[in-house]
Amino acid sequence: MILLKIVALGIVDAIAVYALFVLVLSDEWLVAGIVAVVTIAVNWIYFSHRALPAKYLTPGVLFLLVFQVFVVGYTAYVGFTNYGTGHNSDKAQAVQALMSSARERVPDSETYKVTVVESLQGLGMLVTDPEGDAYLGAPDSPLERVDAVMEGGVAVAVDGWTSLSFSDVLKRQSEVFDLEVPFSSDLNEGVLRTADGSSANIYTSRLVYDDVADTMTNTATGEVFADTGEGAFVSESGEELLPGWRITVGFDNFARAFGEESIRDPLISVTLWTIVFALLSVASTFFLGLFLAIVFNYKRMRGRKFYRIVMILPYAFPAFLSALIWSGMLSERYGFVNQVLLGGAEIPWLTDPLLAKFSVLFVNLWLGFPYMFLIATGALQAIPDDVVEAATVDGAKPWQVFRLIKLPLLLVTMAPILISSFAFNFNNFNLIYMLTGGGPRDASAAVNVGATDILISMVYKVAFTGQFRDYGLASAFTIIIFILVAVISIVSFRKTRMLEDLN
Amino acid sequence: MVKSRSLMAAGAIATTAVLALVGCSSADGGADDAETTTLTVWVDAERVDALKDVAKAYEDKTDIKVDLVSKANAEIKDDFTQQAPTGKGPDIVMGAHDWLGELVTNGVVAPIELADKQDEFLEVAYEAATYEGQQYLLPYGVENIAVLRNTELVPEAKATFDEMLAAGTFVVESDGSGLANPYHLYPFQTAFGAPVFGSDENGYDTTDLQLGNEGGLAFAQWLAAQGAAGVIDTELTGDIAKERFLSGDAAFWLTGPWNVGVAVDAGIDVAVDPIPTPGTEAAQPFAGVKGFLLNEQSKNKVAANDFLVNYLGTVEVQNALFDSGKVLPALKESADYAASDEIVAGFREVGADAVPMPAAPAMGAVWEFWGIAEGAILNGEDPVATWQKLAADVEAAIAG
Amino acid sequence: MSTTRSITTRGGETFEKRPFRFGRWLAETGWRHLVGVVLILFCLFPLAYVLSASLNPAGTLTGSNALFSNIGVGAYERLFSDPSQPFAAWFGNTMLVASITAVATVFLGALAAYSFSRMRFTGRRFGLMSIVLIQMFPQLLAVVAIFLLMNAISDWFPAIGINTHIGLIMVYMGGALGVNTYLMYGFFNTVPKDIDEAAKIDGAGHARIFFTIILRLVAPILAVVGLLSFITTTNEFVVSSIVLIDPEKQTLAVGLYKLVSNPNYADWGAFSAGAIIAALPVVILFLFLQKYIVGGLTAGAVK
Repeated sequence: MILLKIVALGIVDAIAVYALFVLVLSDEWLVAGIVAVVTIAVNWIYFSHRALPAKYLTPGVLFLLVFQVFVVGYTAYVGFTNYGTGHNSDKAQAVQALMSSARERVPDSETYKVTVVESLQGLGMLVTDPEGDAYLGAPDSPLERVDAVMEGGVAVAVDGWTSLSFSDVLKRQSEVFDLEVPFSSDLNEGVLRTADGSSANIYTSRLVYDDVADTMTNTATGEVFADTGEGAFVSESGEELLPGWRITVGFDNFARAFGEESIRDPLISVTLWTIVFALLSVASTFFLGLFLAIVFNYKRMRGRKFYRIVMILPYAFPAFLSALIWSGMLSERYGFVNQVLLGGAEIPWLTDPLLAKFSVLFVNLWLGFPYMFLIATGALQAIPDDVVEAATVDGAKPWQVFRLIKLPLLLVTMAPILISSFAFNFNNFNLIYMLTGGGPRDASAAVNVGATDILISMVYKVAFTGQFRDYGLASAFTIIIFILVAVISIVSFRKTRMLEDLN
Repeated sequence: MVKSRSLMAAGAIATTAVLALVGCSSADGGADDAETTTLTVWVDAERVDALKDVAKAYEDKTDIKVDLVSKANAEIKDDFTQQAPTGKGPDIVMGAHDWLGELVTNGVVAPIELADKQDEFLEVAYEAATYEGQQYLLPYGVENIAVLRNTELVPEAKATFDEMLAAGTFVVESDGSGLANPYHLYPFQTAFGAPVFGSDENGYDTTDLQLGNEGGLAFAQWLAAQGAAGVIDTELTGDIAKERFLSGDAAFWLTGPWNVGVAVDAGIDVAVDPIPTPGTEAAQPFAGVKGFLLNEQSKNKVAANDFLVNYLGTVEVQNALFDSGKVLPALKESADYAASDEIVAGFREVGADAVPMPAAPAMGAVWEFWGIAEGAILNGEDPVATWQKLAADVEAAIAG
Repeated sequence: MSTTRSITTRGGETFEKRPFRFGRWLAETGWRHLVGVVLILFCLFPLAYVLSASLNPAGTLTGSNALFSNIGVGAYERLFSDPSQPFAAWFGNTMLVASITAVATVFLGALAAYSFSRMRFTGRRFGLMSIVLIQMFPQLLAVVAIFLLMNAISDWFPAIGINTHIGLIMVYMGGALGVNTYLMYGFFNTVPKDIDEAAKIDGAGHARIFFTIILRLVAPILAVVGLLSFITTTNEFVVSSIVLIDPEKQTLAVGLYKLVSNPNYADWGAFSAGAIIAALPVVILFLFLQKYIVGGLTAGAVK
């Protein structure tokens, strides 16, 4: 045992030291520090005679911290930023993107053949105009006529400069791509740029970036756009240049979340439906799963194996596939349920507000009961046979045995599952999205919220309307929803007293 | 004592292991990545096969390696938008022209130099590649819908909508659950003279909303009548429409070139017909243009531009892409080359006057309102009031 | 009542030695079969669409209610013949990732559950509560966050970063503590503490008690958690589509999803065929684990 421990720790330490080595080499001191501290802590935990619980918890907690807590932390952080369409990257990238889309080709200008050349001063362009004349230029010296070595009508070399082959150009792509050679001493005539290393065009820019004043100026109108701390360059008239960049915005998203008009009206009804949906989903899957677990936990029954396999099948197929099939089966005029089972009835399973709610719950039952069945089957094994036997001998009816003996024991194992299953369904975006898309919607209503929309799917609609993504707002909503569901869950935990009982 | 000895043991193991690891890593690090340039290209999974040979030929020609990464069509735009700013995104991404508004607003795509080739491209393709006066997309395929006809059931094309209905069952897909599909219904809308936006020589003018004009209301009333008669049904999904046509129940199917293959495979002799207009003007479908976009954060922009403009934008390559993918090429000459294929030529003819789908980011919201309103009208809501509300909603969405 | 030949054991277990009586059979066993048959219909009807779609050359999923009207194995052939869709590799990758994830999840979860169940320490209730609360956080931006994280890891340690199975498994390990731990925790609590005490008196350390006694007693729940984890991993595609890039490294869920993600080109036939083949290992694993899940190991050992 001790040997195993040493070997395991040795491997862990070896990996950690290697990691430290790499991190220090790439100057990631913060991460390196964290790795070092964690490694020391892990060593202490496993060599110490105290810290017994930590020995068992550390491996799982480490992964939990890195992968789950980080995700939660990141989402929470985004809730305090303006991340979304138009604010997708940092400021440097936004400036780069603005400048590149502001670059306009001078109207009716020619295309020049180009050979990228190099001297001690740096890169330059040897260009051939359509008439076949050769010119040479560099960033600080405008084009000038030169005599050059021609090859097939294209200037390929000039004295004092080394010509770059295409593969040389590829090695210095960014440099070549950003190379700008003034067309003439008048800068308003534009600059030559080459996108592919073999041809060049003359461009002027619609925007000029002044990095000292940190402003963008529109060269045509003279309008000045300044960084006013809103994550974009904004003109005095309030016009925004997009793309902007990501900044933190404090509690703005939360203020918007609470002030969002399109949400305020349906908020109460949607919250209620979300809770009802989650509760009924848990209750229906739990009782069906439990019932079936008990039914097939009867040792003298033949074919139990077969039934059990069939029962986990709904769980073994991808949920989105099943949801699509159900939505087809429940179609009002073409679905299997109406056409075949009900002989051509036109029951609006997914288009009537009330029936759609029922359908969502029903399909969720189909999707979810195998999970409860599996767990209940496992949990039933924890009930010692002799307890049940004793009760039966004492004359207890099966229902009494179930209610007074089996159920309480089962709940010890399953109560936490019920609560986490509640939380899962509270945020069961996929089911709603795939089955009804939140619909049916009332086309005459002011807001785009449907009868089966739960909180999380409503948030999607508000924050991600069409192609506009507002991750900041969505994350703020997410945090609010999380607090809501966490409070409900904590209260339920207290209510079930399961933690109190065992402390 | 046991403890300190075990500590030492652990230390010893650790040190040897580290030395081994460091030795390995320094041996194989560096060196080989500096030599060859690799372009990472994200491609819709279903188009990888069509591109493979073309990419290979480029590798042989230039020594630039092209790494085609197959991506799920539904994920490609969001993944690209999220990953581009990290500098780890692909150099080139395949996309649809109507993503341009969103991608440009996010600053993740770089313009490419197409102006010299303007005349070589189909007009619709070049227009689609342009967003706010700049070209961002290297177009390679143009798609639009038309009427597929089962020639065994109906040997001749029908000139009017009513004649078509009289000759056989007509199917057009909806989104199900009470929602219409505005993309597929758009030709009928234009037939009544109600395009979504007015347009000028620069393409769409998103401030000139035409949706709610007189023609729009006439279309809404026509739509209500079709809904009542069961000609257009919100519950008839794409799957059902396909199945109807393939089984011979339906003689006419309003769909795109993407469904021709499956019909031919099912042994149906199909013809491509213009969309018969139910109104006063020609029924114009939307055109969708597929192409390639350059990542603004790419570190291989010279190679990427060379690959896009000087290679994918040439006739030979677009011909080859047509041979392997059977999509109408975006270059005029290649489109003519594709005329040998009756089906592709048929779609091209129907799409001759097609306009590209608008690319403004607000379109996402517009499509949604559109589908809901048309669905409601088909299912019996008052057409005029619903359509007027749609026009108001769309106007609000565009205004942001 | 001809009960003369029936032998009833003390525990109420009756053996099949008495003559067959339909009424009694119906009351004790028969109705269970009735429930079972109803259940089979309920479970299998939607799945019949999957099977039908996998055999339908038209490649639609819910286009027609005339199931199995066209039969062909083209979809299965397509799955195995297209080199850009290396289905066999996807299958292998899925098995590898799902098995390792399942085993590791069970192991890490059991370790944690044991300490929560058997040890008393400060922060225990807080810890229990936190691990379940963390999982309640809506995973809205999980994809972005995981990409950033894996990307950073790739910069330093490419061997466990983007486009590696180890990287993907590590992300899945992040979820090892959570609902599963709770499930095991509950089950551990039903194992009487006397057993630990007795073993301790015999001189066994905590590790020995855990590995040699407790783990055996909680086998049913370990099997359940392992199976659940295996199924979840098999069908997970949001994270795996971000982490795994090369087609030959991808898992089934990612690869198959690509077949249908573009509605215009959706090949539901091949997708359904793939989903059916992907479900087979789950069924086989369940068959194998069933004896542990319902084996009644606990019952015997607790006494």
